[in-house]
Amino acid sequence: MTSLSPDCNELKKQYDDCFNKWYANKFLQGDTTPECEDLFKLYRACIWRAIKEKNLDQLISDARKEKPFSGPEDTRTGET
Amino acid sequence: MVKFFSLTGTYQHSWPTVTQAVWQKYPNPFASHVLSSDVIDRTVDPVTGVMTTTRLFLKSGHMPKWGRSLLNVRDAFIMEQSIVDPRSRRMITVTRNLSHTKLMLVEETQTYSQHPEHANWTEVHTDVRIISNTGWAPIKSRIEGFGVTKFKDNAIRSSKGLLHVLERLTQGARS
Repeated sequence: MTSLSPDCNELKKQYDDCFNKWYANKFLQGDTTPECEDLFKLYRACIWRAIKEKNLDQLISDARKEKPFSGPEDTRTGET
Repeated sequence: MVKFFSLTGTYQHSWPTVTQAVWQKYPNPFASHVLSSDVIDRTVDPVTGVMTTTRLFLKSGHMPKWGRSLLNVRDAFIMEQSIVDPRSRRMITVTRNLSHTKLMLVEETQTYSQHPEHANWTEVHTDVRIISNTGWAPIKSRIEGFGVTKFKDNAIRSSKGLLHVLERLTQGARS
């Protein structure tokens, strides 16, 4: 599946491949130590650039104000 | 005004496989309207082992004729927030539209858990909330009615898509 931004496609693919393997072989087996963090950092930086360019960051942070779960992620705004 | 809708379904696949399929759902032949998919945030709580994810989708919209005069909606951004708890074997996804929320906000919560009677099956419970905040009552009820009809069509298509991915995943594991 393609990314919102063509610039992020390659980084997304690398991350997704890593994640899908880790999720099946580690996470679901009980080893929840992350392994694809470096790839995710690169991909995340790319996708958040695209989100800001399309002025979606405000819509996302507004939607996140209604927190469906009380987790640490929901308190972040993703602007790292 | 709020409309609620809910349904429960079963997949004859194990919970771990179904959750893998949720992550790999797009593309599939039943989701040509999904134009992009991105993970925009993801964390794993080191203490509980629970994974929290936010995904962003771009979907092409289909507005009914009477709606086109109200708003020029072609594509819609959809946000999905989810948690996966591998210990309790529970995955919850909450999906909602990001734009045009005043006209119509559709929020779908899906809970995937191990089937109570068949350990190798997965039960999926779906709850939907449709809210329209537009002031004009006739249009409002029409929008909400449209939302419910659309949701039922989407639910069938979405489930077919997930089944397709499930078949692919389990065949891949066998070969």
